Amino acid sequence: MRDRLDRWADPPLLVLASLAEEPRHGYAITQDIAETMGVRLSAGTLYAVISRLESRGLIEPLESNDRRRPYRLTAAGARELAEQSERMHQVSSVAQRRLRANYGWARA
Amino acid sequence: MSVRQPRQARGADVLARVALGLYPPAWRARHGDEVRALLEDSGAGVRAAVSLAWHALPAWAWPARHLHDRPGRMRASLATAGIAWALLAGLAAVFVQLAQAQGSSQALTLARHPVIQWSYWVFDGAVIIAVLAVAAGGVPLWLRMFRDARAARRPRELACLLAPVAVPAVYLAASTAIVGLVRQPAARVVPWQPRPVADLANGMIGPWWFLALVVAGFAAAVVSAAGPGLALRRLRPDGPAVVLAARAAGLAAAAMALAGAASIVAAVGLYRWAPADAGYHEGWQLAVYLPAVLLAAGVALVSAARGIRAAREPAVA
Repeated sequence: MRDRLDRWADPPLLVLASLAEEPRHGYAITQDIAETMGVRLSAGTLYAVISRLESRGLIEPLESNDRRRPYRLTAAGARELAEQSERMHQVSSVAQRRLRANYGWARA
Repeated sequence: MSVRQPRQARGADVLARVALGLYPPAWRARHGDEVRALLEDSGAGVRAAVSLAWHALPAWAWPARHLHDRPGRMRASLATAGIAWALLAGLAAVFVQLAQAQGSSQALTLARHPVIQWSYWVFDGAVIIAVLAVAAGGVPLWLRMFRDARAARRPRELACLLAPVAVPAVYLAASTAIVGLVRQPAARVVPWQPRPVADLANGMIGPWWFLALVVAGFAAAVVSAAGPGLALRRLRPDGPAVVLAARAAGLAAAAMALAGAASIVAAVGLYRWAPADAGYHEGWQLAVYLPAVLLAAGVALVSAARGIRAAREPAVA
């Protein structure tokens, strides 16, 4: 069995990162994540994540005239995203530094 | 393109309806329209429907807190777990009738096989624990609702609450009368064993009558459990009695699921080790019994787990 090394692409973080730019509805979130982060979220995964994030108060729904209800990041969601992205940044910095030192290579 | 677009939209709509139908009602009410819109926008196909179906189970097992209030989740879980538990109890009764209660010398010899003997013991112990758990958690809540319904003069709710007593009593009276009318001479009855109501193996009633009684029995079990479930929805009780019932439902569901597992082991053991003429080699019986037990046990466990999780959350002041 192949180990999955792309688990960093945690769907809740991807959704938070997408909503950090502007409020978006479900389809706009999937489009943004696919275009900017290269990950395709399925409908089931997306709405499981949206329900969980809303339940934890990290995102909130906005009023909508049609069925495409947009969501926006809350202050708690922004804090959570900042903490998690800082942690990911630390991992990334350490990995790149060590790759450069020991293998002479690191992606810019 | 203009021809394909409506067809795609129709397909997405059908897929969405089917997949969304698997979600809890509160989830569907909150997100259903959004998901349908997403499927229409993204030209959804089988992958999206499979993904939706896959995430339906966690939506039942770990319901989002903002979609339900805590007592509401406990009540809904109790109602669903109650019906699944009643179905498991009905399956257990069928198992007892077709396996444990058989008085033939072959059946008695098979019951001494270590695997079958242990399965019978585990089954008996688990059923006793399950019944005690239902009594410990269900009776206080039932009494509380009964008092509330009587004080508020709500005859429909009183009738719902009396279903677990009245419906089995009517079923037992009717089935005893039917067995008395259609009974055939017993081919073999062990004198010291109490004569069961419907003993298929000993030739008391024909297989079609037995099947009719089994189906009616399951209907009676569902109605008996649905009555208090309906009363829970209408009377909306809250407080320690509901919390106790939710915890007891967890124990009752786990014990009944264990009894179901033990009965499956015994049924497979009988199928494998019984002599050819012992009447345990009907493959279709296993093919019906196994999935029925697994499905009912799965629903009972998931619903009971939801109730326990809600019971463990702090009550909102």
